[in-house]
Amino acid sequence: MRKWLVPALVVAVVAALVLWRLSSGTQGPTVVVYVSHDQVFSEPILKDFENETGIKVRAVYDTEETKSTGVMNRLIAEKDNPQADVYWANEPVRAEVLRQQGIAAPYVSQNAEGISATFKDPNGYWTGFAARARVLIVNKKAAAKPDSVLAYTDPQWRGRAVMANPLFGTTTTEIAALFVLWGDERGQAFMKALKANGVKLSASNGDSADLVARGEFDFGLVDTDDVVSRVRQQQPVELEYPDQGADGIGCLLVPNAVVLIAGARHPDTARKLIDYLLSKQVEAKLARSDAAQIPLHPGVEGPPDLRPIDKLKTMQVDYAEIAAKLQAIQPFLKRWVESGS
Amino acid sequence: MTERLVLVAATLLLAAIGLLPVAAMLKETLIADGRFSLDAYRALFASSDHLVLLMRHSLELALLTASLSTLIGVPLGVVLGKTDLPWRGALTLVLAAPLAIPSYVLAVAWLPIVGRTGLLGGVLPAAWSREIGSAFFGLFGCTFVLTSAFMPIAMLLTIAFLRSVNPALENAGSLVSGWPGVLAHITLPLVAPAIAFAAVLIFLLSLGEIGLPMYLRFPVYPVETLTQFAAFYDQRAATVAAAPLLLVTLAVLGLQTRLHRRVLQLGRRTPRGEAVQITLGAWRMPLFVLVLAFAAVVVALPLGALAAQSLSVETYGLALARAGDSIVRSLVFAATGASLLAVLGFFLGYLAERRTLFLWWTNEWIALLLVALPGSVIGIGLISLWNTKATSLIYASPAILILGYLAQYAILPMRVVAASLHAVPYALEQAAWLSGAGWIATLRWIVAPLASRGLVAAWLIGFVFALRDVAISIVVYPPGADTLPVRILTLMANGAPSLIAALCIILIAVTLLPLAVAGLWLKFGAARP
Repeated sequence: MRKWLVPALVVAVVAALVLWRLSSGTQGPTVVVYVSHDQVFSEPILKDFENETGIKVRAVYDTEETKSTGVMNRLIAEKDNPQADVYWANEPVRAEVLRQQGIAAPYVSQNAEGISATFKDPNGYWTGFAARARVLIVNKKAAAKPDSVLAYTDPQWRGRAVMANPLFGTTTTEIAALFVLWGDERGQAFMKALKANGVKLSASNGDSADLVARGEFDFGLVDTDDVVSRVRQQQPVELEYPDQGADGIGCLLVPNAVVLIAGARHPDTARKLIDYLLSKQVEAKLARSDAAQIPLHPGVEGPPDLRPIDKLKTMQVDYAEIAAKLQAIQPFLKRWVESGS
Repeated sequence: MTERLVLVAATLLLAAIGLLPVAAMLKETLIADGRFSLDAYRALFASSDHLVLLMRHSLELALLTASLSTLIGVPLGVVLGKTDLPWRGALTLVLAAPLAIPSYVLAVAWLPIVGRTGLLGGVLPAAWSREIGSAFFGLFGCTFVLTSAFMPIAMLLTIAFLRSVNPALENAGSLVSGWPGVLAHITLPLVAPAIAFAAVLIFLLSLGEIGLPMYLRFPVYPVETLTQFAAFYDQRAATVAAAPLLLVTLAVLGLQTRLHRRVLQLGRRTPRGEAVQITLGAWRMPLFVLVLAFAAVVVALPLGALAAQSLSVETYGLALARAGDSIVRSLVFAATGASLLAVLGFFLGYLAERRTLFLWWTNEWIALLLVALPGSVIGIGLISLWNTKATSLIYASPAILILGYLAQYAILPMRVVAASLHAVPYALEQAAWLSGAGWIATLRWIVAPLASRGLVAAWLIGFVFALRDVAISIVVYPPGADTLPVRILTLMANGAPSLIAALCIILIAVTLLPLAVAGLWLKFGAARP
């Protein structure tokens, strides 16, 4: 070993750390945001914010495909010494969990004025924007087209339907919403009927969409962006809004939600970012992008591939109630999943 | 005295880096409402029937993967590391490529080939392709993909350790037997510790695997930890759920230690001269075709599928624009991590091999337990321990990632260095001391140069594992400083398949580049014992 090797190694390590500190943008206004919304859609929005405000955004991304274990558990583990200023959640339930754990702080943005109270925490702990809808992705070659979530229990689709694991993500939210609407007894009967009808579980909504696109299943319950992206890639699938009939329960809307973190180190820039995310401009961008998100501000043009919110029959539910129900039924859902594996 | 101080310091460093975060998590599991409580453990074992099933699946997957990877990797290592097969270097690089790719990405690459509507569907009868497509989603698919991902570990370790076999023993053996006999009775028994280590490592890595089994719908035990993290946000229960994995690790470790002792009874080696090469003669071309065909099926097919998806300059331009900074960061973090791993591994490996302190066995057990723990548990432990106002400088910098790499992967350089030092006669050190050299000087001028190949191998293996790490990185990477595998994972959700494919190809390229450079260095520039 040459004489200089060990000292050179030490110098290299120290230099690398110093260089990182210098280049990590600690000078000038900064905001640290943790993001559960897909990076492919959220990163361009955050870049635009940087360009328009000069505020450096340092982001930690996660994704529904990884069950958002990274960001949510990080926020919880960092509770006593928070590193994040803002959390951009891909659904209000996660924001509600943070509120319950004392990790969220209240902030009512003026830009949220036009958004319906349904999509906001009454005390300002989280605010919803740019929603997805829970819809059916249907293979074009399927012999019959389902038009309700109850198709999962219909014998004509026995073994031909797929659903993401209901312990995670927006599928849990949807099941919790059904329990809220129907009550526990009917909710549990529905879940048992799903199992009896041979519904297959996939790793995620994206996985369900791919399986339907490849013809392995006739349909699956996913988010609108999962269908729109496959349709735009010209895969053989189509979108069906479930339960739109006169007696139908409607489809569930799942807005993004933005949260100010309690004890944020950069509260001013954090509020500016929250204001920006809740602006009509951002909703319009998210609607035009492949995320195809449905604007919650009135007057903002929606994605061309989707029905506007006023032409859509949506579930009439309270997101705080869904969050509470979700936590209550998690042990049942865990047993349900385990009994099928 | 210096020796004692340095080796104790290295041991304490491993304990501090690796055990303290885990201890911080374990402490949380034993306290409820401010009091000592075993409730979290009771709750875990309340659902024991299901846990037994999940554990059985995990054990099946780990056993099958470790067995197949070893059965394929060791003969490949012998053929590529000890014979005159043509294009050995290039074939080694190609066959090592899947190790660079996170296993779920490999599964994604295989799907257009084995899926019901995939490539095989167009070639095979419909019933066959349907069967293969169905079987891919389950134990068969998981084992197949994991074997292709982890087989290079057995292959590379075999190649590295074959170089430490005393050629005099093989030459003596060849006087009374052909090469098959020499390999079976001399060479392979002498590298058995390395083979056993490779098998154990692959077993533990497969046991903790979660992304791939979830993607291929095969329920395994680590899902329990993930469920507690992701569905219940209960970090206490998630840590408790990892406890049975530690018990399995302890059992495996006990078995391996017994095997290790038996093998060591074969005695120390004192290699001199060039390693002996097997001349294949008439077998040269048939074996070459066989290895080439294997590489074509296991590596070229899935990677070809990835390459075919990304065949345009624009795609690579976009990939560099979206992830150029992540690529640079990944290289810097992995190189730094690998360098520190090599230094720590050198001292821990020295202690493991020379056993000059009673502590030598504790390091091995600690390091193997750490490699078996889910990365997410180590990550949350690192946050619990380091996210304080006093230690913010470390927590909010890439140093936290490096600490994670040191904790989880310390066993790799440690064992590689230990095996490499096995070939360095202790008498040389004793001679240096008798001549008045201090311990540090002896290490610097005698031991390290003679073990330089092992040190390079230790650096490389540390580099590969740090570069491909996702589990720890996604939990602790500093804001705005993600790594390439993390970016690939987060872009996979609704990202264009061509972009993901291009990023995977870039990940493979940046992993293989140092391997290629090291291969050339070992061939032309390394000091030989």
